[in-house]
Amino acid sequence: MARDRQTDEDYVGPIRRLLVGVLLLALAGIFVVWRIDSPRIERFRAAAIDRVVPNMDWALAPVTGIINLVADFQSYQGLAQQNADLRRELQQMKAWKEAALQLEQENAKLRDLNNVRLDPKLTYVTGVVLTDSGSPFRQSVLLNVGSRDGIIDGWPVMDGIGLVGRIAGVGQETARVILLTDTSSRIPILVQPSGQHAVLAGDNALDPLIDFLEDPDLVRPGDRVVSVSDGGVFPADLLVGQVVLGPDRRLRVRLAADYERLEFLRVLRNQPREAIRDQGGLLTPFAPPDGAADEDGGDNG
Amino acid sequence: MAESPVAQRWFGRFWFVVLALGLMFLQLLPLQTIPRTWAPPDMMLAITLAWVARRPDLVPAMSIVFAFLLADLLFLRPPGLLALVILLATEFLRARSETLRSGSFAFEWITVALIIVAITLGNRAIIAVTASHQAPLALAMFQMMMTILAYPAAVLVSYLAFGIRRPALGEVDAFGRPV
Repeated sequence: MARDRQTDEDYVGPIRRLLVGVLLLALAGIFVVWRIDSPRIERFRAAAIDRVVPNMDWALAPVTGIINLVADFQSYQGLAQQNADLRRELQQMKAWKEAALQLEQENAKLRDLNNVRLDPKLTYVTGVVLTDSGSPFRQSVLLNVGSRDGIIDGWPVMDGIGLVGRIAGVGQETARVILLTDTSSRIPILVQPSGQHAVLAGDNALDPLIDFLEDPDLVRPGDRVVSVSDGGVFPADLLVGQVVLGPDRRLRVRLAADYERLEFLRVLRNQPREAIRDQGGLLTPFAPPDGAADEDGGDNG
Repeated sequence: MAESPVAQRWFGRFWFVVLALGLMFLQLLPLQTIPRTWAPPDMMLAITLAWVARRPDLVPAMSIVFAFLLADLLFLRPPGLLALVILLATEFLRARSETLRSGSFAFEWITVALIIVAITLGNRAIIAVTASHQAPLALAMFQMMMTILAYPAAVLVSYLAFGIRRPALGEVDAFGRPV
């Protein structure tokens, strides 16, 4: 018996080596194809995640809940203090809210007098965070809304207050949000009172870096930072955060969104703007001569 | 689990895949959405190396490829790359598992540590050569050290929970083959 098995092994050995060789080649092939034609493999990745993660959905929420419960329990003593702080803050907020309401009404009246057309408000889809990126090197979350809900790559994502990131990778039922803190995140921004354009570059730190700033002297810590629709990829005027001076003496942005509790996120429907393509025809007092606008004349007639 | 030895071996393989899936699940839990300045150990790698060093028959190449390719896809790593590097490393370790068996644990740990360093550096080298998206160096080095330090824990957990231990010299399985 033992001898039989031993001879059996001699057949198994080379076949095994062959199999390992084939596996190595296949993995190398996947990597090379990814490097050459990244979008195709990334679509495959989105589809694979779409198949795997919703299956875990039933367990993800309760396990996360239990772990958070335990973590919260440790900070139980701070709760009374936090409650008092929140009440005080709420009082201040009420005062601000009253001021804001009055201003809003005044604004509406003035706009009415001026006959101003403003941008239509953006509508949104709200999704629940399923998972994080699972790796300390990447900052992203997976939402439970996907192409089924009409999500499209590149749409901005906010929590209640500020910008969180943008959609990168959509599956049927899931969509990945690349957070502003990810090292591959680059967003066009506007620093508000001075009107300086810049790029917000994530670098795996909680406060992303302000890059390509024209005149740093005009920007002070505390300035408001909003998104800007440069290049038509992002809707303008979404709150991003405030300028702060980082410990490395570089200007960074303290994000308005609460990154510690990303639970429900809004995906803003960002329909592409109508683009103005032609440069406008020549305005002439008479109809153009028949040679130039033959087709137009034919259509009308 | 006093089934036939074939069933036992398949149970072992099955548990490896379940363990890998469980570890991926734990990593995916949305507990941490603010960037960290430190990195937890890569427990999947530590457990895989511990099982390959001790019971290579329970960790066939197919299991490793399945687990790490799925992890590459889920964790937004370049797909196939880390799976490729780890498959090479485990084949290297598999060929030496019999030598490791007679040595001390310190020798095993040093071997595994060198393999983890080789995996990290090899992975980074290929990414650098192909000019792909590189993870921050400090964080990667931190994770490498943490994984090396976590190796004894991985061995202990494998032993206590799954009974993975080094077969004694000359130990044979139920077919009479040397393990």
